[in-house]
Amino acid sequence: MNYPFWDVGMGYGWLMAIISVFHVFLSHFAIGGGLYLVVSEQYARHRGDFFRLQFLERVSKFFVLATLVAGALTGVGIWFIIGLLNPAATEVLIHNFVWGWATEWTFFVVEILAAILYLYGWKSMTARNHLILGWIYFVAAWLSLFIINGIITFMLTPGEWLTTGNFWDGFFNPTFWPSLVFRTGVCVMLAGIFTAMIASRLKPDNEKASLVRYNAWWGLAGLALMVPSLYWYWQTIPSGITTRAMEAMPTPITSILLAFWLAAGLILLLILFGLILPRRMTFAAGIALTALALVWFGEFEWFRESVRKPYVISGYMYGNGVELAEIEAYKTDGLLAHMPYRTGNDGADLFRRGCRSCHTINGYKPLKPAFDGTDPEFIGGMLGGANVIKGNMPAFCGTEREMKLLAEYIYEQVDHRHLSEIYSLTGVALGEKVYEVRCGRCHEIGGYGDKSATLVGQDEDYYNLVLDMAGDLAPEMPAFTGDDTERAALIKYLLSLKTEDGGA
Amino acid sequence: MPGYNFLPAPVWLITALHVLTLTLHFLAMNFLLGGIIIILWGRIGDRWNNPVVKKFIRLFPTVMAVTVTLGVAPLLFLQLVFHRQVYAASIVSGWFWLMIVAAVIASYYLLYATSFSQKASSSTRRWFLVLSLVGLSYVAFVYSSVFSMTERPDLYTALYAGVQSGTIINPNLGDYGLRWLHMIVGAATVGGFFVGLLGRNDESAFKIGKQFFLWGTIANAVLGIAYLLTLGDILRPFMRSAGIWLLTAGIVLAFASLHFFFRRRFVISGGMVLVTMLMMVLSRHYVRLLNLAPHYDPATMPIQPQWSVFALFLISFLAALAVVWYMLRLYFRGKRVPA
Repeated sequence: MNYPFWDVGMGYGWLMAIISVFHVFLSHFAIGGGLYLVVSEQYARHRGDFFRLQFLERVSKFFVLATLVAGALTGVGIWFIIGLLNPAATEVLIHNFVWGWATEWTFFVVEILAAILYLYGWKSMTARNHLILGWIYFVAAWLSLFIINGIITFMLTPGEWLTTGNFWDGFFNPTFWPSLVFRTGVCVMLAGIFTAMIASRLKPDNEKASLVRYNAWWGLAGLALMVPSLYWYWQTIPSGITTRAMEAMPTPITSILLAFWLAAGLILLLILFGLILPRRMTFAAGIALTALALVWFGEFEWFRESVRKPYVISGYMYGNGVELAEIEAYKTDGLLAHMPYRTGNDGADLFRRGCRSCHTINGYKPLKPAFDGTDPEFIGGMLGGANVIKGNMPAFCGTEREMKLLAEYIYEQVDHRHLSEIYSLTGVALGEKVYEVRCGRCHEIGGYGDKSATLVGQDEDYYNLVLDMAGDLAPEMPAFTGDDTERAALIKYLLSLKTEDGGA
Repeated sequence: MPGYNFLPAPVWLITALHVLTLTLHFLAMNFLLGGIIIILWGRIGDRWNNPVVKKFIRLFPTVMAVTVTLGVAPLLFLQLVFHRQVYAASIVSGWFWLMIVAAVIASYYLLYATSFSQKASSSTRRWFLVLSLVGLSYVAFVYSSVFSMTERPDLYTALYAGVQSGTIINPNLGDYGLRWLHMIVGAATVGGFFVGLLGRNDESAFKIGKQFFLWGTIANAVLGIAYLLTLGDILRPFMRSAGIWLLTAGIVLAFASLHFFFRRRFVISGGMVLVTMLMMVLSRHYVRLLNLAPHYDPATMPIQPQWSVFALFLISFLAALAVVWYMLRLYFRGKRVPA
């Protein structure tokens, strides 16, 4: 509440993703690539393999250009963007972990200098000294990961910190170790796969075969770390979080479970093109492998961000920056009283504070389709039960008056025509739309909050009764405020469910 | 539940780290920005084949890395103490603030392109440098705009009430225009010192460095005094604070550094330049405190020290210094790998 709200035209999720996707790929490659370079250099020098040394020198140039510039600066970019999108959460992370960040910075200093000297030192340094630089680079880079991993995992599983406030409790939180092993695996995998892609451009001879095979082993070694550690990671997340996520966010959760199959696909491709047919590792195959690897890792990051909802810091702060500890004060005094930055439009200010972090009216995760053709009373009712809509939204924590102000503000932005007119629907089809808008947000047929077991097979009187007392069925449930046409169409639809069921 | 409205160390310690790292950041930035300005506009014969120019161009990407790295720490410590002000002002200028990252990435790659394109035409290389200078000047401009706005809570609160999309640059140019110019001219001045240092065995290069260092120092003194006079209400309290003594010491040292530079006593002159910058950064810190005094006093922040983690930082910091020294030693004393 202590900050202005950056009301940018696009979704916060997209803004965050655009920067962080680049960064996580490059930053993990920066670590794994460092290990790959120094181990491979040592191996090549031991064998007197000048072909491989030349290849490594080329890789190191690409490596420095990609990781030191775009990799490092998109990391700064993440810092900038989180400060704009969620300054309160950023403040929590900085105030609690500043010495962690500062320690990471010291590793970063070493890492950057080591990488530069390593690149420029290929022809001017002794082999021994050059290798020492390579090892220093890798150790510093991995230690950076060690620190950042503690802070990232804290956001999902703050563990004992929630009661003690102790740095170390937050840092060595329940998912710290599995995440560290997983991310180390990612680093190694990406190193193998990126370098396999680079090697794929060489002419298909024995040297290429040997190089591709070698790189494929790196990819496989990374995957061997990643697969079990992902399972371990899943096991260490408190079951309350995973259960809620399974119910409320099937897409990212299913995707992470499917990711095990993706890993199997990657392993097969690496064995096929990397170990069995390394000369046939074309650039297209290299690109495909890289893309698959990035999708695999990207799914993990998507899952990690999604599973945390509705929190930005689990059990401590919601995604919209509302601190759990302050909720009672907000409910008593009102949100507006705690907002130092006001625009003169209270409804808009409440919308920004309450909803805008995740929703727009008509763009990213839009509210318009959810509320087109409805009324302020219904919108207010839905706001009152926001925390139970799919279970991944925070409760609205202002006063009743503020809820009304917000509902009216949203109502001003949506389509005021009747649902039948907006969608050109009548009869059962209109009823299905009425169900989707007025009931289906919380009671998806065959999905989250499904109530078809008690709804299907009833008669018209029963449905009328349920609609009459909808507002009294649960504190979070809005009253049915549709008109008679909507009511009739909805009942027709519910009766049609009976017919379908009966026919089955 | 644990709070977060606290400082994990005493204010003086965080301020000291902020001031120290910011001074080092400015030093690296001045090498970069000043070096580019002098290469582009200094009277250098056969510019692209000049050995000193070549040295600078070869060093630019590395110094850019150093500048970025040394810029992270002071911003971190600034956000720690002045969190409310820094986040609020950066949100009001959100898009400009975010584009800093894009500008730095573009400038960085352009410096690499300049460094790696020794066979490219002089016009191409000039364009690379001009564009990287535009990018870096943009960064300096937005920083000046946002950080001067952090000292005006009433201003950014009023601006936000009108526009929430983060598309406002600080309209109060009088507050930071001179400050930005002071920064750019300062860079050219210190760049002159570095040109003289790297070109100490080349009389023409030393002369160019000397000109930039001398005239830059004079111009910057004028700009600095003009900026001082724009401080308005806080000018009087500033004159009574330790800030004025630090500023005076800085100005005296700046001119003294010229004396030693002309006598080619680069270590003494460079040390004085560094201390001058430290004094300027400290004076600047006083100005910030005075501007914010009616709204916020960092001394009122509760302190909850995290000494064990601070000890980890300190050990890492000292170890990093040792490793940096060791790596440089390895690099510069290393022998060529037998072919």
